[in-house]
Amino acid sequence: MTAATAVHSTYAMPPSADGDPRRSSEERALVVAAQEGSNEAFAALVRLHQRRAYAVCRAIVLTHEDAEDAVQEGFLHAFRALDRFLPDQPFGAWLFRIMANASLDLVRRRKVRDADELSESAPAPFRDPGEADELRRRLTEALTRLTDRQRSVIVLHDVEGFTHGEIGSMLGIPEGTARSDLHHARAALRRLLKDVRSDI
Amino acid sequence: MTKLTLHNDGGEGDVTRELRALYAAPAGEPYWNELESRIMARITEVDLGWWAELDRWARPALLAAAVLVLAAGVAMFRARQVETRTAYESILTPSPVPVETVIRPTLEGDREASLRDVVGHKDRSNGRP
Repeated sequence: MTAATAVHSTYAMPPSADGDPRRSSEERALVVAAQEGSNEAFAALVRLHQRRAYAVCRAIVLTHEDAEDAVQEGFLHAFRALDRFLPDQPFGAWLFRIMANASLDLVRRRKVRDADELSESAPAPFRDPGEADELRRRLTEALTRLTDRQRSVIVLHDVEGFTHGEIGSMLGIPEGTARSDLHHARAALRRLLKDVRSDI
Repeated sequence: MTKLTLHNDGGEGDVTRELRALYAAPAGEPYWNELESRIMARITEVDLGWWAELDRWARPALLAAAVLVLAAGVAMFRARQVETRTAYESILTPSPVPVETVIRPTLEGDREASLRDVVGHKDRSNGRP
């Protein structure tokens, strides 16, 4: 059984299984095979990490479409940089840092583009048109009032369950900054949503 | 009015629940299979790009360049050795014609020409009124 096919059994494993030694050794074998030029092995790594990678990107960018673009960019960067990766390191942490960078790049590019287009038409705030729920609508609005980093930190921590240290490493900020960003993001959301009834 | 709660170290509040719903990844295998295919299509594109071709030739090209540099170095070293040996030999080998014999006729010729010129000039001056 090749490393690429072996991973099918772990495909649906939840992210919490990252510490599993069997999975780690399979992952290391895949990384080594991919470094030796096996596209099949790299495809298996994609299969293994794409959901978590999507979650990281989605926490940083504003839309699902941008998250998809960032995931693709991220995997492309990872593929190009694969020979510089040391297989003894955790592949996930390395990959998610690349994903976060790809997402931050995309956010920066979007900002420049939006600034260019501002004179032609004022962009509407990010909002799901099909949103009926009051809390969701207000939350969506409130999220646009947070800074990019605060929004990323609160989603990565409260939704995706990353630790402050992991978030700091991904976003290139100290752990303490991630902690304080989370605190400020929560406070801002509480303030912005204080008049929303949750039982609407 | 119910109090709105936010995830706070252990508990899951309304806002967190809503955040999870808002940021939920697409469900269903077909979506992920399709995304994987798109990612791999882009990677294959890159893999078959001209830089990959370049990358494949980089090692043999480097090897060939190294061999060429080595050969050029050896050739230069040998040429220099030959040059040095020739220079030593030309110094150490005695000249078939004595140095004096080679130099003197030239010097003598010059000196005689100068003398002739001076004497001739004197004679011309003496002959004047």
